[in-house]
Amino acid sequence: MKRRVAVTGLGIISPCGNTIDDFSSNLMAGKSGVRRISSAYSSLLSVKIAAEVDFSPLDYFIKKQLSGMDRVSQFALAAASQAWKDSELSLDAKEKERAGVYMGCGMGGGNAIEDLYDQLFKHNADRVKPLTVLMVMNNASASHISIEYGLSGPCLTLSTACASSANAIGEAFRQIRDGYADVMLAGGAEAFLTYGGFRSWEALRILAAEDPGDPSKSCKPFSKNRTGLVLGEGAAMVVLEEMERAVRRGAPVYAELIGYGSTSDAGHITRPSLEGQARAMAEALKDAGLLPEDIDYINAHGTATEWNDLLETQAIKKVFGDYACRVPVSSTKSMHGHTMGAAGAMEFIVSLLAIRNQAVPPTTNLDQPDPECDLDYVPNIGRTGVTVNTVMSNAFAFGGTNAALIARKVKG
Amino acid sequence: MIREEETLSTTFERLQQLFVAHFDYNIEELTPTTTLENLGLDSLDIIEFMFDIENEFNIRIPDREFKVTTIQDMVDALDRFISEQDSEQDIGSSIHE
Repeated sequence: MKRRVAVTGLGIISPCGNTIDDFSSNLMAGKSGVRRISSAYSSLLSVKIAAEVDFSPLDYFIKKQLSGMDRVSQFALAAASQAWKDSELSLDAKEKERAGVYMGCGMGGGNAIEDLYDQLFKHNADRVKPLTVLMVMNNASASHISIEYGLSGPCLTLSTACASSANAIGEAFRQIRDGYADVMLAGGAEAFLTYGGFRSWEALRILAAEDPGDPSKSCKPFSKNRTGLVLGEGAAMVVLEEMERAVRRGAPVYAELIGYGSTSDAGHITRPSLEGQARAMAEALKDAGLLPEDIDYINAHGTATEWNDLLETQAIKKVFGDYACRVPVSSTKSMHGHTMGAAGAMEFIVSLLAIRNQAVPPTTNLDQPDPECDLDYVPNIGRTGVTVNTVMSNAFAFGGTNAALIARKVKG
Repeated sequence: MIREEETLSTTFERLQQLFVAHFDYNIEELTPTTTLENLGLDSLDIIEFMFDIENEFNIRIPDREFKVTTIQDMVDALDRFISEQDSEQDIGSSIHE
């Protein structure tokens, strides 16, 4: 029999709050983290909104730690520390060898690399900050976490753009299930709200236009008047633990992670494929040994781009058949924006909170139904007092990578 | 432009100020005989700190030539670099003339 995997700790740094409880209550209340950006270069941009994290590094770190750490690793460590504390884990030296870190990150130390180029090309510097390499490298966050907690098992960084941290959690799940590790800190982080970052996304012409009445309502997944995605940042981490171990020590168990699907479109670098998305969801169901009707809530990838929302709707219909119209599906990106490498983990946490709270968060800003997007997207108002035993979380990425995770409430 | 109080400070005092600004140490911890090990600094910390030192003293420290144990070692090394680079500049300007 395969080993079972429990989720025993959660941590988050997000545009909708820097604690799990704030994040949870803000999403249920439909409170958006999207706002006008305040940086010096914002006047140069055509799109001036984003979902920024309100974060004071000195609340989490001493000055000496910060000099070699990009914002992305600061987020990652802050979220990891919450998750670790939440899990109430204490490992001895031998147990630490069976504990690892899997992180998802799309762009690495984006702020450090921008600072580097600014110094070199704009200010003609003849030398740059000594720790630049260590701030820019994409595996910095995972390594900092591994060092902080002494976790000496596998330590990998997965980079699959917007699916990065869903893949990280899925692959970490397999590490435990297949017996390579007993404990994994898994999740993702992203901090790419830089001038170059905004310009790069702007150039792809898929950023949402600012809502003329209220900037916080600019991201409108599945709505007829959707105009694109809103960039976000943050980090989300979970502690995964072999179930018997978790039960034996009386750990708080949020849910059991039971299914993971991972596919590639092998098609187009940006345009998603119905087939690829549907196969990821179907694989996750098969992995979990479930039928579509067993899923009580889907957290959609739901970017609010023309292509994603249409194809994801069709892919859900393909996998879920008649049941597709009855299962609640929401995109919380309407509130926390698209946090890229952190998105898969952040939205997996949203799904776990739906189990904890027995409540489903809304898709906000859904005011104009799109005839081609005709599922139950939980428009604008969250639902409390509903039965949520089993959840699916989707993450689809540029490059064509698709991931789906399924978790189930633990009876007890 | 160099402020008057800086021109009057010794290399040691300027280094002390840098330590305080960079690492948040108390100035009392920083005596000539204090070792970097006592301060809990490793080689990476020193590499990073050298960047600020180069800025403060307007010098470039050559690779592999900053082998120091105590703060006094740093002061001695810095005084050497400063005088070497001053004389290089003098030679440079005299050739130019």
